[in-house]
Amino acid sequence: MTRREWLAMIGAAPLLKAAPGPEPPAAPVSIARCASYDEDVTAKLATLFNQLGGIDGLVRNKTVTVKLNMTGSPGIRFHGQPPGVTHYVHPKLVGAAAYLLGRAGARRIRFVESPWAYAGPLEDVMLDSGWNVRSLQSAAAGVEFENTNALGKSKAYSRFKVPGNPYMFPAYDLNRAYEDTDVFVSLAKLKNHATCGVTLSLKNCFGTAPASIYGDDAGVDEPNEKPTTGREAVLHNGKRQPSKSAPPELHPDSSHDPGYRVPHIVADLVAARPIHLAIIDGVESIAGGEGPWIRGIRIVKPGVLIAGLNPVSTDAVSAAVMGYSPRAVRGAAPFRTCDNTLLLAEAHGVGTTDLKRIDVRGLPIEQALYRYDT
Amino acid sequence: MRVLRWGAVLGLLPILQASAPQPSDWVPMRWPWSDPASLELLSGTPINCLLLKTVLPDFVQAAAARGVVTLAVLAPGGDVAGAARRAMAAKVTGIVIEGDLPEGDADGVREAAGGAPVIELTARSRMALGSGAPGVSILGTYQGVWPGIAVEEDGAKKAAPSGSVWIDTNTGFIRAVRAWGDAALWIANQPPAKTVVTGARYLQVVADAAISGARWVLALDDDFAARLARREPKTMADWKRIADLLRYFEQHPEWRRMQEYGKLAIVQDPAKGGLLSGGILDMIAVKHTPVRPVPRQHLTPEALAGATMAVNVDADALTPEQKEVLSNFTHAGGMLLTGPPGWKDQSPQGDQITLDKAELERLNDIWHDVNSMVGRRNMGVRLFNVSSVLSNLLAAADGKTAVVHLVNYSDYPVENVAVHFPAEYKRATLTTPEGVEKPLEVYPTEEGGGVDIDKVLVCATIKLEQ
Repeated sequence: MTRREWLAMIGAAPLLKAAPGPEPPAAPVSIARCASYDEDVTAKLATLFNQLGGIDGLVRNKTVTVKLNMTGSPGIRFHGQPPGVTHYVHPKLVGAAAYLLGRAGARRIRFVESPWAYAGPLEDVMLDSGWNVRSLQSAAAGVEFENTNALGKSKAYSRFKVPGNPYMFPAYDLNRAYEDTDVFVSLAKLKNHATCGVTLSLKNCFGTAPASIYGDDAGVDEPNEKPTTGREAVLHNGKRQPSKSAPPELHPDSSHDPGYRVPHIVADLVAARPIHLAIIDGVESIAGGEGPWIRGIRIVKPGVLIAGLNPVSTDAVSAAVMGYSPRAVRGAAPFRTCDNTLLLAEAHGVGTTDLKRIDVRGLPIEQALYRYDT
Repeated sequence: MRVLRWGAVLGLLPILQASAPQPSDWVPMRWPWSDPASLELLSGTPINCLLLKTVLPDFVQAAAARGVVTLAVLAPGGDVAGAARRAMAAKVTGIVIEGDLPEGDADGVREAAGGAPVIELTARSRMALGSGAPGVSILGTYQGVWPGIAVEEDGAKKAAPSGSVWIDTNTGFIRAVRAWGDAALWIANQPPAKTVVTGARYLQVVADAAISGARWVLALDDDFAARLARREPKTMADWKRIADLLRYFEQHPEWRRMQEYGKLAIVQDPAKGGLLSGGILDMIAVKHTPVRPVPRQHLTPEALAGATMAVNVDADALTPEQKEVLSNFTHAGGMLLTGPPGWKDQSPQGDQITLDKAELERLNDIWHDVNSMVGRRNMGVRLFNVSSVLSNLLAAADGKTAVVHLVNYSDYPVENVAVHFPAEYKRATLTTPEGVEKPLEVYPTEEGGGVDIDKVLVCATIKLEQ
């Protein structure tokens, strides 16, 4: 199949019957070539932002919260590599984002993540990942960090109601950092995911759910502010409900298949907590899974950065860059054993997966194409 | 030319022999060759003590001429005392008994040695711990785990998605034993059979012992020894790196005099669980928490000075006086964690040097409590980005100087390590076996100060000064 034939295929009519109603929004997506982190990552990212029309209007004098992808324990490495070149977003890209957000006038830049089984300072996890926290702090004025696995620096959780018809939970209780912000950015990695097929800006937000409430050792009644586990039992498998302080599942008798549950939960979360800017780190990454604990993963170097103002559109373009149809249904790659998170989010009205409706700027998809399935 | 050189050396023999190192300074190696010419390999190395299975007078004499001590290695079986007499007749410096002799046979060897040093490499459970026995200046064991990142059978690193990489190490055992007394400690396990041992793995095993104040008795696998004998360039390069690492630790005898430091104290009987690898001390080590082992027999208020937390592994084993010490510790504000009622610290059985599965599961209960109690508190020093690294924090008696040793057990360099330490330390210097010695920029942290280290190959040391 030629690249043109492949593009025709992935742009074909949706394979999942779209819900009736207004068309989900579309927004431009930019792609840039960035062969390595030794290149001028800041300049590349600035170009992406410029191609999107600039971010000044979005962030000036605003609080900007940036959800990072730092999945899994920082101690688990693939071939001894720093996690930033495999399954975490790279600290240079994080620093570049901080600098550019600051330069665009952001008043406060808060980096957030719910790291594996830990509710202590996020800076500890960054240091354990080999990141230079001091450099990040000096990249812009007003840089902060918040571990959103528990209450963190806040005194109460914020409740995010899922608009329309929620799939799994009517609302999610999250760390207040996700509410106390004007702009929400998802800074994700261009990766496969064992449960969800791909993990991009949408799936990155699965990590907004605090383990204190949705973790295996969450309190039955109240959150456990010192969680030490992941979210398998509550979110992946539905073996138990979250702490009673948070709304329970709408349909506890529905499928317990993680390939069903996780995509639906992610779609709920991104509908409840909208993403204003999606940035995808595809410079160096892994294929075959989301982290070193997945058998058969391999290091890949797609050499691209992608950004967009709509997360579904951005993920659609990113999936296409990975060689997948963003509208593939369960059973087709990369969604062989799961539902398509992108389509579920689209059905929630978050954004379009229709590549024909998405204005791709900078590097064309066919030139950025890097097949994750070989 | 060769004859002339030997003649010149032999002429200096009395002077050289007079400068033979003391047993506590011996840097030992199992020497696989008997040809005097092989001794040339020692040039430029700090190795000064050769363990010989085959004793030839010419070789012994040539070694002595270089100021190198020789020890005849005798194994149980047959007339061991007679073998010792024959070895002494060949002018070896002393005897090494490797293995566990029947009761009383070691005395016969000592008598045959006629006052020359006799070193016993025994099972861990038979080491003369804390005996203070006269003449026991070196404790040794032939039992040790082969240090390195634990690997599962299919080649994957042994770690859960969430967990830490497990590192097989002798450090917990060494620290428990050294807390008992000041004897020089030799770990004399040999490379695993049917395994390719890279140069880097030799560096790791040397460093694994050295960071806790012991010496690994250098033992080359047959393949490495053969390549070294042929002077193959790559093997010679590995040999030089091994020598450089040995010299690195030998150039700092003050490190061996320093004491294990940490605000967390583990009260344990070194003769029981302390003899086993993979126990509580090693569990804490992979969490990079500084800890000081306190032998139950040495449990005094002074031993707990400066500690803020203590773990009493085997509560029932304490005397009333020792219980009083811990009671006073808690009354003074210290946190104390005790093992579950009825829990007994396991002693090694037979050839066992690691915990069995059942014991490991029981110890996990204590471990979870310890982990919860300590969390990520700074118990003397905090390390970041060190998942493939083990460390040891040692402090001088006056507390004004401390060192943090780092050993990297992975096949890759570790980059961007951060070290946070208490505010009383104002200066930090990085040294490495590669010859780096440079002051580090100390920046403020919530805990006091911090430094960043760009790269750790196999080993690095941070010296902290008030």
